[in-house]
Amino acid sequence: MFLEIKDLCVDLGQFKLENINLSIEKGEYLILIGPTGSGKSVLLETIIGFYKENSGEILLNGEKINNILPENRHIGIVYQDHVLFPNMNVYENIIYGLKRNKELSEQEMDEKVKEIAKILEIDHILTRDVTTLSGGESQRTALARSLIVEPDLVLMDEPFSALDVSTQNKLISIIKKIGKEKNTTFLHVTHNFNDIWNLADKVGVMKNGSLHQIGSVFNVFSKPANDFVADFVGIQNVFEGKIKKNNQNHLVNVNINDNITLVSSDVEVCSHLEDYTNVLVTIRPENIIFSNESMNSSAKNILKGTVIDVTYSGPIMGITVDVDGIVFKGLLTRSSFQSLDIQVDKDIYIIIKSLNVHIMDRYSSFKLEKS
Amino acid sequence: MRSKFEWLFIIITSVITILFFIVIGNMFLIPTYEGFIKALFSQQMIFAIGLTLSTSVVSAILVILCCIPMAYTLSRYEFRLKWLFKIILDLPMAFPEIVIGIALLMFLGNYGISRWLGFFGVNLVFNSAAIVIAQFFVALPYAIKMLYSTFNYVDSRYEFVSRSLGYSESDTFFNVTLPLAKQGLFATSIITLARCIGTFAAVLFVGGGILMKTETLSIAMYLNLSTGDIDMAITAGILLVIISFVTIAVMEKYVKEQYV
Repeated sequence: MFLEIKDLCVDLGQFKLENINLSIEKGEYLILIGPTGSGKSVLLETIIGFYKENSGEILLNGEKINNILPENRHIGIVYQDHVLFPNMNVYENIIYGLKRNKELSEQEMDEKVKEIAKILEIDHILTRDVTTLSGGESQRTALARSLIVEPDLVLMDEPFSALDVSTQNKLISIIKKIGKEKNTTFLHVTHNFNDIWNLADKVGVMKNGSLHQIGSVFNVFSKPANDFVADFVGIQNVFEGKIKKNNQNHLVNVNINDNITLVSSDVEVCSHLEDYTNVLVTIRPENIIFSNESMNSSAKNILKGTVIDVTYSGPIMGITVDVDGIVFKGLLTRSSFQSLDIQVDKDIYIIIKSLNVHIMDRYSSFKLEKS
Repeated sequence: MRSKFEWLFIIITSVITILFFIVIGNMFLIPTYEGFIKALFSQQMIFAIGLTLSTSVVSAILVILCCIPMAYTLSRYEFRLKWLFKIILDLPMAFPEIVIGIALLMFLGNYGISRWLGFFGVNLVFNSAAIVIAQFFVALPYAIKMLYSTFNYVDSRYEFVSRSLGYSESDTFFNVTLPLAKQGLFATSIITLARCIGTFAAVLFVGGGILMKTETLSIAMYLNLSTGDIDMAITAGILLVIISFVTIAVMEKYVKEQYV
């Protein structure tokens, strides 16, 4: 592992980070998400050495760095509001980190500044006062200042949140390119799910100073470890039920109420649970298939309900269906919506594969998934 | 179009400012021109000006050298009894200057460390060194307070970024923190100098108020007022007003709004 954090606890009086465990491989891109005040920024500033941990270990490249001063950790940081030195121009900000390297000549430093400025497309503003820059130009300058010293790890604290969408997209593609070319490892905190789709190899979800889940993007979004993660990552179908294992078929039945039983293939999750244990079931909206007729298919869950609401979000339609008092939410493209002639109060079938019915142990809400 | 509220506040500000101007300006009308020139170029006044400026510059330099690490410590670091340190350092601003004067006289004089200092031939009362000490103790709390606010304005993340780029804590302090605090530091220096120049009660007690020995401008004003030489007293007062006006004007001109 390139970066490994073991049982990290930080007590700042009014706020605590508790038992943080995570790891990143060299060249990987980890994104941490979570509500405001969940401790994402504190975690970054602890990794870089500005907060002292109360217990736990931080290992970088196999070396314990807990007692190494921030200036010797070779970790860069980029903040949401850029934090460019206001008493220096763009060029002086970028070259600042190189100046302490006595092995580099003035000319070599100058070449490096111009090279990184060209990659980040700020070579035309090098003499500008930083107080006159746009948000995108400031963030590129901050990135250049951090990347020019070739840190082992780059920490990014909501780097795109103050930028417009087009600037965000440009920066995302530049970061992707740099990450690929230089095999740079990134740890990035954000509220923006687009950053995850575009950049992340792995995702962690934090709340109240705890890391609730970390894993591949697919795992976190399709198999949230608990109800908070499910809610935060936007899974809208979360139900409580009692399990009944069906060992012969390697399936688990979950009774949501007297009339609805969902079939799931999450046998492993339930292996330690007794029958009739309370669990939570999650289904991502995009994993629900709509049909006007019941069909003979491989899907184990076919339920008949009534459309009670339709919402529009650009080309995607949100469909809410009531099945015996249980509300399911699904997504459809506009063309499918039209071809099915979906209307409020119309009866419709919803079809869900058992693979897409995920079970969470209701009473072990803190579960760390390593993947 | 100004609102009634705006007018009311502008009027209150104008009336009180004009009152200040009249009270201070009135002093300039009292002495005759000849009396003023004679007092200004008297040996006593020239001595007082020289002593005031020399001791104040030394005191202000010492205050700034001490208040930079102290204000930074209070702004950035957490340690036990920090709250008590802050109260102790703020205390001299809350009680009359004369209390510092008496306390320093007791500490430096025969009731304090004078007996030990005497062994080494050092005397810290009733001389120029005593004036510097008095000015230092009076001005330091104000300087710390001002610079503490300045350092609080400098976002500590500038320092985080600098250190993440490989600079040590001390390099970061000199490369980033101090340059970003330079406006506040300049303002603090000017106010400190003005405060040192204007120190009276503490200087009177520790310096002894000795004619042509520990006679600063404020002491000259006091001594001449006591002996009825109004021209000398008022001239000293006018000089103090002019020096203060120039220092404050310089500060207003060069200290722009903090950009951090």
